[in-house]
Amino acid sequence: MNSATGRVPLTPVGQNHPVASLDRVSKEYRSAGQPVRAVDGVSLEIFPGSFVALVGRSGCGKSTLLNLAGAMDFPTSGEVRLDGVATSSLDDAGLTRLRREKVGFIFQSFQLLPTLSVIENVELPLLLAGAPGAREAAKLRLDWVELESYAARLPHQLSGGQMQRVAIARALVHEPKLLLADEPTGNLDTVTGNLILALLRRIATEQNTAILMATHSSEAAALSDVVVHMRDGRIEQILQH
Amino acid sequence: MRNKLVWLVSCLLLNPLVMQYRSAVPGYHYEFPRDNFNHPDFQTEWWYYTGNLRTADGHEFGFELTFFREALTREAQKASDWSAPDAFVAHLALSDISGGKFYHRERLNRPGPGIAGVNAETGRIWNGNWQIDWKGNAQNLRAISDQFGLQLALESQKPPVIHGIDGISQKSAGAGHASHYISLTRLTANGDIDLGGKKFAVAGTAWMDHEFFTQQLGGGQVGWDWFSLQLDDHTELMLFRLRLKDGSIDPFSSGTYIDAAGQATHLAQKDFSLHPLGDTWKSDSTHAMYPIRWRVTVPSLKLIADVATPLRQQELAGNTGWSPNYWEGAIRLTGTRDTAPIAGVGYLEMTGYDRPVPLGQPLAEPLPGSSNR
Amino acid sequence: MSRLTLFYRLILRPLFREPLRTALTVLAVALGVAVVLAIDLAGNAAAGSFRSSIETLMGDSDLEVTATGGLPDAVVGTLATLPYAIRVRPRIQDFVTVVATGQTVPLIAIDLIGESADQQIITVASGEEALKYPGNLDGVWLGSSLNAKAGSTIRLLINDHVRDYTVRGVFDDSAEGGAIVVMDIAVAQNELGRTGRVDSVLLKVPDSPPLAEWQSRLSGALPAGAMVRPVGSRTSENQRMLAAFRWNLRVLSYVALLVGGFLIYNTISVSVVRRRPEIGIVRALGASRRSVLAAFLAEAACFGFAGAVLGCALGRVLATGALKLLSATVQALYVSSRPGAIELTPASLVIALLIGVGMSVIAALPPASEAARVSPMEAMSRGQREYATRVHQGRDMLIALGLAAGGIICAVPPAIAGKPLFGYLSAILLIAASALAIPAVADGLLHTSAHGLQKIIGVEGLLASRSLIGSLRRTSVLVGALSTAIAMMTSVGIMVGSFRQTVTTWMNDQLQADLYLRPAGNPASDQHPTIPNELADQLAKLPGVAGLDRFRAYEFSYEGLPATLGAADFHAVQPFRKSAFLSGRSASDVYSDLQGNDAVVVSEPFAHKHHLRRGDSITLPLGDRRVPFHIVDVSYDYASEAGYVVMDRATLLQYLPDPDPSNLAIYVAPGFDLETVRAEVQKTIAGHDILIFSNRNLRAEAIRIFDRTFVITYALEAISIVVAVMGIAGALLALVVDRRREFGLLRFLGAATSQIRKLILVEAGLIGLLANLVGFVLGLALSFILIYVINKQSFGWTIQFHWPAAILVSSLAGVFLATILAGLYPARIAIRLNPIEVVHEE
Repeated sequence: MNSATGRVPLTPVGQNHPVASLDRVSKEYRSAGQPVRAVDGVSLEIFPGSFVALVGRSGCGKSTLLNLAGAMDFPTSGEVRLDGVATSSLDDAGLTRLRREKVGFIFQSFQLLPTLSVIENVELPLLLAGAPGAREAAKLRLDWVELESYAARLPHQLSGGQMQRVAIARALVHEPKLLLADEPTGNLDTVTGNLILALLRRIATEQNTAILMATHSSEAAALSDVVVHMRDGRIEQILQH
Repeated sequence: MRNKLVWLVSCLLLNPLVMQYRSAVPGYHYEFPRDNFNHPDFQTEWWYYTGNLRTADGHEFGFELTFFREALTREAQKASDWSAPDAFVAHLALSDISGGKFYHRERLNRPGPGIAGVNAETGRIWNGNWQIDWKGNAQNLRAISDQFGLQLALESQKPPVIHGIDGISQKSAGAGHASHYISLTRLTANGDIDLGGKKFAVAGTAWMDHEFFTQQLGGGQVGWDWFSLQLDDHTELMLFRLRLKDGSIDPFSSGTYIDAAGQATHLAQKDFSLHPLGDTWKSDSTHAMYPIRWRVTVPSLKLIADVATPLRQQELAGNTGWSPNYWEGAIRLTGTRDTAPIAGVGYLEMTGYDRPVPLGQPLAEPLPGSSNR
Repeated sequence: MSRLTLFYRLILRPLFREPLRTALTVLAVALGVAVVLAIDLAGNAAAGSFRSSIETLMGDSDLEVTATGGLPDAVVGTLATLPYAIRVRPRIQDFVTVVATGQTVPLIAIDLIGESADQQIITVASGEEALKYPGNLDGVWLGSSLNAKAGSTIRLLINDHVRDYTVRGVFDDSAEGGAIVVMDIAVAQNELGRTGRVDSVLLKVPDSPPLAEWQSRLSGALPAGAMVRPVGSRTSENQRMLAAFRWNLRVLSYVALLVGGFLIYNTISVSVVRRRPEIGIVRALGASRRSVLAAFLAEAACFGFAGAVLGCALGRVLATGALKLLSATVQALYVSSRPGAIELTPASLVIALLIGVGMSVIAALPPASEAARVSPMEAMSRGQREYATRVHQGRDMLIALGLAAGGIICAVPPAIAGKPLFGYLSAILLIAASALAIPAVADGLLHTSAHGLQKIIGVEGLLASRSLIGSLRRTSVLVGALSTAIAMMTSVGIMVGSFRQTVTTWMNDQLQADLYLRPAGNPASDQHPTIPNELADQLAKLPGVAGLDRFRAYEFSYEGLPATLGAADFHAVQPFRKSAFLSGRSASDVYSDLQGNDAVVVSEPFAHKHHLRRGDSITLPLGDRRVPFHIVDVSYDYASEAGYVVMDRATLLQYLPDPDPSNLAIYVAPGFDLETVRAEVQKTIAGHDILIFSNRNLRAEAIRIFDRTFVITYALEAISIVVAVMGIAGALLALVVDRRREFGLLRFLGAATSQIRKLILVEAGLIGLLANLVGFVLGLALSFILIYVINKQSFGWTIQFHWPAAILVSSLAGVFLATILAGLYPARIAIRLNPIEVVHEE
């Protein structure tokens, strides 16, 4: 509907501070000696409580965009702002701090630490940040994803859906403003996947957390507020529900 | 006239303090058995055995066993078994005449703790396990080497002969240039020879020389030829000639004739002649040319005889450097005495054929040959 | 698929991708092989040196005749006149010090006159030269390596006097194994004060009859005390004497190799775990189990081969250093020695290669057979499989207990052929037990301590302990390698420390005199230069001298082993000396028993070697006689491993009449000032080269020698530790690569780079801590085996257990620190990883 390079308001009018804003962001890296432009001049603003789905083929730049938005990486050009802070103005320690406070990640393959128990996995971000009350916060989060009885288990004792719920609890334990999800249902069957999507939907709605989710799944896209279609690093189309 | 050790060892002495020793001068009183043994007052002394032997089945041998003593010092030394007032040299040679082979060994020792010496009380003269054992007039010879050995019982048929005049055998001009020279000219020999692990029972005749002196030789002498002859008429001859630098024969050459009864007669140089007959043997190792066929003439005995060797190689060429090279070997005599045919056996020693023997004055340097090994 | 292709894809290519880790593994094997080779080479060279210093100028001799205190000269005459075609070569052997250089060289006295015709010896000196100077007692012939010119003079220290000697000749000593000084026997007897005796007579005998027949023939012709033995007997005696020492050293050197074996096991395990999917694929493509097994064994063999090749070169280098340490020890404890040449023989190289490859292949067997069991199905299985989760803790713990029990039982049986084989077995069983117990111990400790660690260290403590538990097998192997090295360090440390304390206590009892005197000659323990007895008489009369002990020592051979025969003046020192005896009887009782009787005291090592006890009888060859003696007691003694037989001075003088003592001990009378007496003594001995030690000096000197003898053990330990720490660095590198996704994830979850570094260092530290703990416990157990079994059975010493606390604590802390440092580089690698890449890798 709008041009891929334009500044697109993605949120209801009235919530005026975007959690994340990308301004003509490009990311290049070298692959086999050739420069590859993974993200090419993308501008995007994500406001609290909005659930944004990024769709496109493998290699279209979804993951790169996610990492840029999550302060895991610097753009080659353009600017990424997280809660008003430009990532390019920070050093590695600053990025780490920003991530600890503002960002949560979930992944296709859950990425739980196999040697830690469920509760330990959940509290890990708080522990790494050195925040107090980690265990209580983790319990609350586990409770919220309805896995409180699994707290002492090890990840390999859980089903895929349970693991992803633990991962979600972990991603939310420090109450981030932005949740980045990379194919969160990719390793799950449809039913379980839908449960996870419903959970994400709740998170956006109930906690006013912005969610940026890369996905292949049309069900996933259907549940979101906004669907951003990407192709070859550019935004091809933005659909608002 | 076995002078090897004289010019050997005396040349080695930096300061041969001749004055420390007695010289052989007329009037020496001989006494036996005392004079069979050591005379430490004299610088040089030797006991010299040679002989011709054969087995019952006719295998012929010749042998030489010699003990030399050369005084090194008579200065007082620290008491030690190993101090060396004398050096003892010994030579052992075996001529396997029938086998055509010649073997010889030499050794040098200090008296040490019983390693070599002369002991009148026990009747022993020895150098290691080469020894003479006197028992009365009998002498037992024993010598062992890695390749051959011998063991002989000797019995003298005649009393000791004292050569020369007035108990001295003059070798060059001047008082004291002489030796006391005793011989047993006819010894019967019986015993065994070991050769390469094989034992030969042998019998024959032997000859013993015993000489002691201090500094007997004079200048100008380059070598000598010495004969001991045992004739089949039970008489013996000892003859030697000293060769001078100019090729002439030294007038101090002499000899002794011993008749069948054991009576000795001195022969002056003019009384005999020793004449090489032109047959020579050339040594491969020293390149010396030795005359090995001689004409012996003693007019007073009406003796004309030819002497030849049954084994041309009987040269003792040492490899240690402290002995000279010389030819010493068994010989055979055939000729006439008073027109009657006569035969005999004996030993011939020839020195100074590879190079002039530095006789006479002692040298301050070692022998040329000694650095030549 | 051809085996070569398989080998290349599965093995070689991955190795080239991680050059540093590959290099570390190769280097660990190389060090292990190098240490074994170096100890072997150095041991051979050190042992070889006896041959060159004692058995110099032997020519083609077959037999040697010797007697305690030397052979009477007359024996030479007897031998020379025997009716056999033998060559007789009398010898006096000693040592002289070249004053200008301080170099101590063997002195060989020969019969220069009698042997001048000897084709075998003639290269040395000529009889003519000896004959030239019959009365002069100052001629020496020098080996060319002393760089002296004929005709010059050389200043030599012999016994207690220094003199100038004329160099009569110089000979080529290249065949003699080093510099020697040759003298005529007459000169040597005079200079050494050994008139009337020679040390030995060498004999060349004919080829037939056989040597044994000659031995008995010649023995029959000689006095009872004379021993006729094949030449080289002393070398083999010395080698037998040294056998226990070398054997133990060799065993110690194998520890480094064992540590290397742990590391190969770890490396191959890592390879197998990482390449499970590849293994599955190649199996699916038709590779047989055997091919897979062969491929991984070949990997180990490659490591082994490369390590062994490098180890050979390294070993040759290390051998030079080891030889220096070793020969110092041999010199101090056993016999005069000159280091021989280090000979790198093809045989020793082949053995080193076999050891390197063999050890590697054996260590790789368990992980390689695990690889062979990977089913083709696993090709498809996705996801990271944890590093060998199959650890049978319970079963292993049971086996460990069984092995430990076996180890304790093995500590009981006696030595076999003088070697503490059961002791070694016991040590091996205990090491194996600890290796098997490590998983359970590590698991238990890490589990219980995880939350404590989290509290103390932070989240990294939790993560580290959890990840160590998660890869328990890897953790166990690393802890096993390091703890083995630590156990060796601890056990040897405790053993040496206990030994040192025991020796110190013993010296306090033994060394009661105030001043000790000995000639400034060669200090080797088998050399006993003497002091003129008249001088001792003068010293005894000095004011302030309350007692004078004249100790005389001879080397002798008892039942094929060298030992020292000594005599002390018990009458003079009875009030002063306080030796300790195994029976517990008082010293003065024992001394009373010794006086006026054919009675001796033997030292503990001597009693041990020859299975003698108090009350037994012992026949000693003394001069030309063989005399039975009664053993009145066994004394504690730590001065000589070869052992002592000590009798009263008056008894010894009856048999060996030479009155010159080898050592003097002076007791200062009460009320006299030590320094004043010392000055008087100094004045009296002026003109003699005699060393005076105060009581304190002598103890310090003894401890210095003691410490020097153990330097090589410390060096071996250090190398094992280095191997283990290198292994840990390599393993941590592997760990970083294997867990890169985890580190990336942590970054996603908000971890700072400093936290990643800390995590790795904490893991390294935990491995170090566990290894220290296990190593210390194992080391303590091993130290008991070392002190009470291996040492006792090898050397016969009673050692009191003692904690060398300071050394233990500092070395354990040092190892711990080194382990943490080993984590620094891997941590740097981990920090540099790009979290985005590693998290998205599948």
